[in-house]
Amino acid sequence: MLSARLTGIGWVTAASHGWGSQGQKFAIIPGEPPSLSRAELFAQPDRRFGRMDAFSRLGLAGITFALRDAGLEEWREKRAIGLIAVTTYGCLATDRDYFATVIPDGGALASPQLFAYTLSNTFLGEAALRFGLTGEALVVSEPPPGGLAPLGLALENLVWEGASAMVAGLCDLAPPEGIPALPGLPPGAVFIVLERDRRTGAPDYGELRRDNDGGYRLNGTSVADMVDLVRQGLAGRNEIRPPD
Amino acid sequence: MNRVCVVDTALVSAFGDGLPPLWSGLLAGRTAIAPLQRFAADRYLSNQAACVPGLKAQSGESLLHPLLERLLVQLAPVPGDCRVLTASTKGGIDLLERRGRGEACPMEAVLPGTLPTLVARRLGLADTGLNINAACASSTLALARGAAWIAAGAAEAVLVVGIDLVSEFVFSGFSALQALAKDVCRPFDVRRDGLSLGEGGAALLLMSEERARREGRAALGTIHGWGSANDANHITAPARDGCGLVLAIEAALAKAALTAEEIAAISAHGTGTVYNDAMELTAFARVFGARPLPVHSLKGAVGHTLGAAGAIEAIFALECLARQIMPPAVGLIEPEAAGRGRVSPEAQAIAGDYLLSTNSGFGGVNAALLLGRPSC
Repeated sequence: MLSARLTGIGWVTAASHGWGSQGQKFAIIPGEPPSLSRAELFAQPDRRFGRMDAFSRLGLAGITFALRDAGLEEWREKRAIGLIAVTTYGCLATDRDYFATVIPDGGALASPQLFAYTLSNTFLGEAALRFGLTGEALVVSEPPPGGLAPLGLALENLVWEGASAMVAGLCDLAPPEGIPALPGLPPGAVFIVLERDRRTGAPDYGELRRDNDGGYRLNGTSVADMVDLVRQGLAGRNEIRPPD
Repeated sequence: MNRVCVVDTALVSAFGDGLPPLWSGLLAGRTAIAPLQRFAADRYLSNQAACVPGLKAQSGESLLHPLLERLLVQLAPVPGDCRVLTASTKGGIDLLERRGRGEACPMEAVLPGTLPTLVARRLGLADTGLNINAACASSTLALARGAAWIAAGAAEAVLVVGIDLVSEFVFSGFSALQALAKDVCRPFDVRRDGLSLGEGGAALLLMSEERARREGRAALGTIHGWGSANDANHITAPARDGCGLVLAIEAALAKAALTAEEIAAISAHGTGTVYNDAMELTAFARVFGARPLPVHSLKGAVGHTLGAAGAIEAIFALECLARQIMPPAVGLIEPEAAGRGRVSPEAQAIAGDYLLSTNSGFGGVNAALLLGRPSC
């Protein structure tokens, strides 16, 4: 049995965007999530944000909100926090856009800027860079899509590998034209922060456990998918633990 | 913690199918990097890559399928309860190229989650599996995860498959980034000027020692430690001080309860780019000091096989440990100053039981594995 504290929730969906302690209502509905501007995400100018592809902006926004909710957005020294995301389509829209720059002139005009974002894990690198996160960073894809795989991997990193905190979640845009749509959750970015130990001043959405049979429970209640986890967490949020 | 054994392997590289042609090519100092036939490369920095010979796709399918088939057919029967981890950066990206040029073709193989399904179906496994994408460290992290599952008792058997293609998509990107070697790449050479792309696949069947004994499978080697860390420094360039790689190696040593002095050799990422190789030599010096320690890169022989690199290099590393030799580093002529006494264009003897294998990639990813001889 693996367990950790759920201390942060952030999301960007077609219905809304925000983070847990903000009091914003969470919902995920079919439709393209909004492309948030830099100003909607960060108070200060960010020269990298404007260069990113839509997939990276979406993922970075979800991670930012989750870290903000957990009180982990600000930092002075790099931290051993890891990042694990699940995606069905990854950066396929960026791939298509990039290859459109390759076709003319035999590749002579291929865009190095776009190519840097043709890996589904690039946005995790952007998050690691922005927030000084030195833990493991990887993207997984699972058939069929369910969104729970990152929870198990993150719990494993916390319990087996000694990570102190992990950001885990899902990130997907709608499938680009010509790509088969698979059953699963609507597009969006939904991320949570899991911490091995209780942290003074951190929000507390409860204890997430993976049972020996592979099922997940939040405060003892079974979790069906990532959206269910977030709904349960927001509904049962405990008071912030006061300093000892 | 359960001991993690490697009990079966399969490999396809530009030298052909299986380890023997690769190994003999390495000992002879040969490279499989050659002028490209797959697509026109006259507008790119280079026209060199290491392509798998005889790779042909049926109409409408990705080249990934015949490559995967040539890999999986090499494996002895895999237990039905085996879990599946695949590692690929771009999977069937050739289909997206063809679609981009107006050809109608099924696009399922472009989706990253289809690869573990293909593997599981082909081998009759119950698990649906996961694909891991961590750029050029993908299969190293897949091996680390599989080993972690077995060590913790969460699985008794895990099949890890790393695979990637040479595609114009990726080739053009590295050319645009000015990262391709003009000719054959020269990892750790003082005059290195970039990487050469390659393609291939590798599969490693991991088992707990107890399960291997029950199945009557002999261990080819062991996985003792693993670690991963992000540079948090740059998206496409490594941290010059090797900070992330140092953290990954230290984590692997701690997991294995080994000291740096117990490591006999290193199979490095060694892409042949100026910055990657310098970063690695810096990191190795920080962890291992000035001690002479054989360091090797496979990429001058088989090219940079992206998500497959870590799995191919793990099989190579086990062979190095078994034979207690590190073959010549193909492409190397004059070692970089920081690599003198470590990298060599000649074969080097190994004296010890443990070998470190490392990979790094876009997004600041670094990964380290500690492999051991079967008796360790």
